[in-house]
Amino acid sequence: MSAVITTPTTEQMQVHKATPSFFGLVRGEFFKLSRQWTTWILFVLLLGTFVLPIIVEATGADIKDRINADALHFYYNQLGITMSILRVFSGIFLLIVTARVIGLEYQLGTIRVLLSRGVGRLQLLFAKLLTVVLVALAIIALGILINYLLTILMVSAIIGNLDSLSKLTSQFWSDAWVYVWYTLLNAGVSILLATAAAVVGRSLSFGLSAALVFFPIDNFGTLIMNLAFRITHSDFWLSITAYFLGPNLNVMPTVLTSGRVDSIGATPLYLVDPQTNQAHGILVDGTQTLVVAAVYAAIFAIAAIWLTWKRDVKE
Amino acid sequence: MPERNAASSPGGETVVNIRNLTKQYGQRLAVNNLSLEVQRGEIMGFLGPNGAGKTTTIRMMLGLIAATSGSVEILGKDIVTHRAQILPRVGALVETPALYLYMSGRDNLKAVGDALGGVPKARIDAVLEMVGLQNRQKDRVKTYSLGMKQRLGVAMALLQDPDVLVLDEPANGLDPAGIVEMRDLMHRLSAEGKTVFISSHLLSEVQQICTRVAIINLGKLVTVSSIGELTQSHGEFSVTLDRPQEALALVQSQPWGKNARLDANGALITTAPNNRGRELNLFLVKAGFAPDTLTQATQDLEEVFLRLTNGGAGGVQ
Repeated sequence: MSAVITTPTTEQMQVHKATPSFFGLVRGEFFKLSRQWTTWILFVLLLGTFVLPIIVEATGADIKDRINADALHFYYNQLGITMSILRVFSGIFLLIVTARVIGLEYQLGTIRVLLSRGVGRLQLLFAKLLTVVLVALAIIALGILINYLLTILMVSAIIGNLDSLSKLTSQFWSDAWVYVWYTLLNAGVSILLATAAAVVGRSLSFGLSAALVFFPIDNFGTLIMNLAFRITHSDFWLSITAYFLGPNLNVMPTVLTSGRVDSIGATPLYLVDPQTNQAHGILVDGTQTLVVAAVYAAIFAIAAIWLTWKRDVKE
Repeated sequence: MPERNAASSPGGETVVNIRNLTKQYGQRLAVNNLSLEVQRGEIMGFLGPNGAGKTTTIRMMLGLIAATSGSVEILGKDIVTHRAQILPRVGALVETPALYLYMSGRDNLKAVGDALGGVPKARIDAVLEMVGLQNRQKDRVKTYSLGMKQRLGVAMALLQDPDVLVLDEPANGLDPAGIVEMRDLMHRLSAEGKTVFISSHLLSEVQQICTRVAIINLGKLVTVSSIGELTQSHGEFSVTLDRPQEALALVQSQPWGKNARLDANGALITTAPNNRGRELNLFLVKAGFAPDTLTQATQDLEEVFLRLTNGGAGGVQ
């Protein structure tokens, strides 16, 4: 703590005039995110998940025959696999990054540094959300680009030309767009889930744990509900799975494309008894899955906003 | 000692004005109807035992927690309704320094600077030099000692060249040289017209740094006074002389000297006939106890603090 350095007057004035700005906060969030090793390690792992399935596909023995036999079916299959992987792993990436961006601020106590200098609570929350949304858009765009380029490269290398692309119908491209929007929606719900978890727990540990176990629990929940149905013979246990977030998100691309695109993961339970032809549970459609996702997203968003706005900062 | 509750000092521009501030958690009053004014350029010490409500008050001053009732004005504006305008002019260090441990000291300042609307590199260099961290600025904060983290916390508070500094235990973790540097820094900032509000447990430091102190206990303001007034022992004199025990017995037999006593150094502490030191001197000389020295008695701030806060245990006064 040696002699005071006198800064030039213009700089002093610049310092005095500076007030918290939304885009300054976003810039600060990107800066903090870029300085975390975790971000880059996760990013490299995510890139690996984009590339790996295409390498596995390319080394398959019958790939040439499959492309020649039914190119459209092959490309639909590629779309389902690559986009499912992109959806799942970008979702996990975003759950972790969002929980870190918000939870770490509480855990380190740095939230009080920012708020005590005039940064608005919601201003900070929305700046963090915008940062993560921009990251989400970037990684999804990158994932789609990598999937597209590697698929083209693979087909070109195996077949020797790209004639099979001419078999792609307008319906295919329309379904591909549906899957892109669906992936974005999935990313949005993941971000809001991790946001709510981090804000409720006011810590990285809680936020990360809660965000990461949510989807495994409600996917696994369908198995429990199925078991409960078998024991009690009550349709309630099957019907309730039509309101689980994970299963609705899993089935969404399939119902939105009328079954043309496959997805992965547990789906809401709907059983038809082959002997009596009686249906049990609720057969969800595209609208239902969108409404369920929207309701969960709204709950997560309202919880995060309300608690951030109203709760005292004791960190 | 008579209780002083004059929450404001005469004259000067009021920079911090706390009025009837109350914070209630369930049945417990953490801060109870606290009123306090701080003038421009003052270094105000804010003292109280653990759980007295110091940090709660500071958090309400910074808009981190909502007051149950009452208000805080800084630079003439209410911090609830004008927080975005006022708080950028306030630098704060609340409790332990909160830092991004995974970043360097310099990057910490840049990250906070970005969030606060951008701070020039020259200013970051300046505050790093002010707190003596320029040689470790590129090291990760997780490798810093507590004292270095404390310095970086102070640097963060100074980043926007604030008009008001609110520092909660700024000397925590500093070595003796660091404490002296911190004291010098506070004095320099005060000389520049900045107002400093310090909460600290280091009473000797507060006594050396602060111009006034406010003492709270159980959420209530016990006293606010200048250091001089607070440590001055009203109407008492300190006398060094030979045979103090005999002198004490003599003085205690006088109607004006019943509360006379010896302090830890053996000096006779007593009131004087007609409250005049000259008459006390005359009395002692006539009785054969010619004083070596006779001065107005003062008290250590620690003694005052412990008495006013019931031994620092948060007891009722």
